[in-house]
Amino acid sequence: MKLHIVNRSPASSRVYGQALSAMGPDDRLLLIEDGVQGALPQLVRYYEDIPGRLYALREDLEARGLLGHCDASVQVVDVDGFVQLTEEAEQTLSWY
Amino acid sequence: MRYAILLMGAPYSDQASHSALRFARALVARGHRLEAVFFYHDGVYNAARLAAPPQDEPHLVDGWVALHDDHGVALQVCIAAALRRGLMDAREAARHGKEGHSVAEPFELTGVGQLVDLGQRCDRLVTFGP
Repeated sequence: MKLHIVNRSPASSRVYGQALSAMGPDDRLLLIEDGVQGALPQLVRYYEDIPGRLYALREDLEARGLLGHCDASVQVVDVDGFVQLTEEAEQTLSWY
Repeated sequence: MRYAILLMGAPYSDQASHSALRFARALVARGHRLEAVFFYHDGVYNAARLAAPPQDEPHLVDGWVALHDDHGVALQVCIAAALRRGLMDAREAARHGKEGHSVAEPFELTGVGQLVDLGQRCDRLVTFGP
């Protein structure tokens, strides 16, 4: 299992598509920085192909006033959870 | 676990440096060993000795130095990326006939071979891009 990290909003960058196409069936995807916009209900459709494997970083949601506005399908983790995701993954790939 | 961080974003231009520093602190707080942070591309500006951000803002350079002092994290700066951006230690400044130097210990100018080495000997390498 690999962890993919995306820091761009799907509304402003198409890098999410590259990440998705590189993902294996068990891989996970973590949204950080402006990427957390992808966790919003109006944008989460871009990630509809990876149900249950989409995460968003709490601190970056909070910094943007978006905490509590995420789609229910997104798992919110803090930076400690970010570290834990990297522990569980054999490798991490960052998309930016 | 043994970790390394690759940082390629310029400080204060995008969030990469802040994200990397926050992640680094969380790593050591969880008991992991952070072997090194490798500063590459515009990330080398994190090593600017003369950085003087406003006092009410996070001081990234001091943050990296604290990680080194408290947890033995090596701060490795790609020498090729640094020199062409005007970042050099006293030794390189002398070699290039420059009056001052802009990089000081504990940051160390090193080659990209060190990055390859980190990738091979660490359990995880996490990249923070611009």
